[in-house]
Amino acid sequence: MRPASRWVRVAAIEAAALVFLLAAPRFLERGTLNDIWNVAFAVILASAWNLLGGFAGQVSIGYSAFIGIGAYTTALLALKGVNPYATLPLAALFAATFSLVVGLPTFRLRGPYFTIATIGVSEAVRVVAAGVAFTGGSSGLRMPAGSFSFTRNYASMVILAVAVVALAAWVKESPFGYALAAIRQDIDAAEALGVNSTKYKLLVHALSAAIVAVAGSLFAINFQYISPGSVFDFRLSLSIVLMPIVGGLGTIAGPVLGALLFGYLQIKLLSSPGLRDSYLFIYGTMLIAVMLFEPKGLLGLFHRLRRGLARSLSRPVPDAG
Amino acid sequence: MRDLTAVIVNSLLAAGLYATMSYGLAVIYGVMRIINLAHAGILMLGAYATFTLYSRFGLDPFLSLAVVIPVFFGFGVLLYLAMVKRLPRSQAGPSIESLLLLFGVWLVLQNLAYAIWSGDTQSILTGYTMKSVVLFGVRVGVPSVAVFAVSAASLLALQVILQRTYLGRAIRAVTQNRDAAMISGVNADRISAVAFGIGTAFAGAAGTLLATMYAFTPDFGRSFLLKSFCIIVLAGMESVAGVAAGAFLLALLESVVGGYSSLPTSFQDALSFTLLVIALVAFPQGLLGAFGRVASRRRSIS
Amino acid sequence: MISNCGSIILRVLLAAALAATVLPGALTAAEGIIKVGAVLPVTGKESKIGGAYKQATEFAVKEVNDAGGVTVGGKAMKIELTLLDDTSDAAKSAQLVEQLITQQKVDVVIGGYGSHLVQAQSVVPERYGVPYISGGAGARGIYGRSKWVFGTLSPVDVLSSTQMDFLASLVAAGKLKKGLKIALLLENTEHGKDYAQGVHDYLKAHPGDFSIAVEESFELNTPDFKPLLTRVAAAKADLFMADAHLEDFISMHRTFTQMGLYFQMVTYGARGADAAARKALGAATDYIFASGWWSDLLPYPQVKAFNAKWKAATGSDPQWYHATAYETVRVLVTALGKAASLKPEALRSALAAVDLKDSILPGAELKFSSSGQAIQPFVVTQNKPNNKVDIVWPVSSKTGDPVAPVPKS
Repeated sequence: MRPASRWVRVAAIEAAALVFLLAAPRFLERGTLNDIWNVAFAVILASAWNLLGGFAGQVSIGYSAFIGIGAYTTALLALKGVNPYATLPLAALFAATFSLVVGLPTFRLRGPYFTIATIGVSEAVRVVAAGVAFTGGSSGLRMPAGSFSFTRNYASMVILAVAVVALAAWVKESPFGYALAAIRQDIDAAEALGVNSTKYKLLVHALSAAIVAVAGSLFAINFQYISPGSVFDFRLSLSIVLMPIVGGLGTIAGPVLGALLFGYLQIKLLSSPGLRDSYLFIYGTMLIAVMLFEPKGLLGLFHRLRRGLARSLSRPVPDAG
Repeated sequence: MRDLTAVIVNSLLAAGLYATMSYGLAVIYGVMRIINLAHAGILMLGAYATFTLYSRFGLDPFLSLAVVIPVFFGFGVLLYLAMVKRLPRSQAGPSIESLLLLFGVWLVLQNLAYAIWSGDTQSILTGYTMKSVVLFGVRVGVPSVAVFAVSAASLLALQVILQRTYLGRAIRAVTQNRDAAMISGVNADRISAVAFGIGTAFAGAAGTLLATMYAFTPDFGRSFLLKSFCIIVLAGMESVAGVAAGAFLLALLESVVGGYSSLPTSFQDALSFTLLVIALVAFPQGLLGAFGRVASRRRSIS
Repeated sequence: MISNCGSIILRVLLAAALAATVLPGALTAAEGIIKVGAVLPVTGKESKIGGAYKQATEFAVKEVNDAGGVTVGGKAMKIELTLLDDTSDAAKSAQLVEQLITQQKVDVVIGGYGSHLVQAQSVVPERYGVPYISGGAGARGIYGRSKWVFGTLSPVDVLSSTQMDFLASLVAAGKLKKGLKIALLLENTEHGKDYAQGVHDYLKAHPGDFSIAVEESFELNTPDFKPLLTRVAAAKADLFMADAHLEDFISMHRTFTQMGLYFQMVTYGARGADAAARKALGAATDYIFASGWWSDLLPYPQVKAFNAKWKAATGSDPQWYHATAYETVRVLVTALGKAASLKPEALRSALAAVDLKDSILPGAELKFSSSGQAIQPFVVTQNKPNNKVDIVWPVSSKTGDPVAPVPKS
């Protein structure tokens, strides 16, 4: 199938989903809409991370830094009287800039060294945010009263989620995406073919960071209270990495599946009194199971099953005798 | 002058603790290139095991090392055989899958701890926990000195194993080049299992030592994990002696900045993490590696 | 094609998942039931006290239900408690509160434990107009922003200014000299900031009584307090005042003892008298004074009754956090009993006007100030040798005399 028509198909599905999700407030309960918001947030983070981690193969466990940059930019400016939505482009810009500052020295590193460096950076940012006065320090920041409208929050998050998935699909089939794939598969060969790997890594990192920061801004707008502990958490960074990998690294549907599973499952587990005590156990076991038995993630599992089914269906019926 | 002695002594003692927490991580990374996130969970489990041995049987924490080390070694080997070994090895590099697998293990260990011991803060108070001795004119706590002694002994033991035994040579061979080692007849799989066992044993022992000094809950271990990352990066991630040097450097920095400058102590952590990044970028082989390379280059020229 | 199929599958999954949750929820407010929701950190960083709050809340609710429930608007009702774990994560905490309100349709929410968690939760009640009462956060910044938010813990700055009052009384009694210097150590949280605020406010109101020789903040779970305490030792202060969580208190005081530091009076804010502290530090906790929201030594009959009940049910002595959690439920139930109906505004105004006259909290009376936060007096206790504890302030609740300055060991 030619890439052009594949993109058209994805776009059509995306459009249908968008229409459905935007119409949802008419017939779904507030609680369900909250859950959709959560999943949308997770989808944005997972898909954006996947650009760098899945397409380009650079695993960063420091993405909470970008969420924090987005959240704090919006909160600080909102407290100064700026319309929160007007702060989104600025949040994206700051995050992209920060990603360049971080990327320039660290992209020289390969594989796990790069990963550990990202952990270091993200933790340093957290500590500074908690220690500096103008960010409110450890007590965090509260958005100005009266800035809350759930319909707006819901719509913006859902639109962003659909847009990010569409963007990922488009990037994957573009020359930019091919360059990233080359970098992921064999960075030296890519360089030999004339791909400036550093430039591409920095670009995709900046794009990815900007998206995550905007999600962080929307987070601040929806939760109305942020603190270094909630937005700069190492475990948050880990869960951002978890979702695309469990769903299927480097694919389009993978991050979405992963986000669906973990984002949705987590809240449901926590709110069911029976399973509450085993929440960590279930989460952890699921992770272990996926890593051990299907590292290609849920999508890989699905394809394996489909192939298996197709094979068994096309097998000739054995003779009775 | 007395100030300087105090700084050095305190840094050495802190380094002892930091190094012990990091050996386990370094060994596993060195042999398998796996970033063991379950390290924090094992630290925590080691602490609780010690606590149980102490509160149920009155066994002194330092004596319980004799129980903890072999038990955790076995646990580590089991963990490797049951799970880590089954991970598909992707080229020569470590996989993100192993990192996430071990993160999953950490979560499960935490839940286990909550179920068995509840979320209450626990601690171990022995007759010598609050006592102090005077070392080189500096007053230091007895547990810190004992931990340092164990740490030094571990370093020695590790060095002896690595340099003088077949096992050690095999480990070093697999660390440097897995395929070449296998060609030379080393059973890389078995070595990996042993290495994972050793790494887990050290993590468990570190947990025991930490339990003598700190109070803990099932959430224990995360801040130490991140610090250990800094240290093994400084160490070059494959050198055991480097771990000790890295631990000392970090402890020294913290002591000096914390005790004698006016920088808020909150920023100390930021300092260690920035150091981590600088070290990774400027010295990818770690500090000792950097010196080693310079030295060997000089040697080969002459 | 691959991503297409994946997209289709995921859309189907998404639709199926949503359909599952759209199933009609339980009937709202069945006859004779008050739905109370609670979100507490049962696991995670705050799990120790979060778990204790869970235990005490369930104990209190059971006590009410066993006694026949509560009468609201003439109708007898039982309390149905839905208690969820937010794993000490602020975002989850807020979402779970929202979940309880929108899906379980609770009539009132009992808040969590820990200022940052309660902060995150406290923005939610205003959105839906549901009464919210927290027994687990003393930070002033949380209250006064929404008429729906109430808190039973007094502000932390009153905790520290009470300690200053106590120290001043020691000066007046001649036990301490005037003009002593304070070493002030604060954890880098809202709690720590409020604590410092209380001290500063006192010093501003009473210039010359004391002065601050050194003031430092530290991160939670600092692994090595040596550098910090070295700075403190160099400042040569007379009094040591720190505000720390249990783990940091244990770690810091161990280092403090090992370094052989001496101060005329030592306090770690609200810590010191807890059983866990004694277990971890032994005799080193002797003579530490602490200021708390509650003490089991309070000489009120209702406190003795509570102690007995708690001991009988759980086999151990109640700690302050059990008492505050218990009392939060009790004041809520008292307000419910006075409410005209289960309608949100009726519940809210009942809470705003409630006056619990046999409260087990210090002052024996619990009611909410105009900001929604209760402003109760604090007790100051001092540890004595052989695991004894005495209430040393206010004088009316005294069970023993304060020892000052602390004897050198």
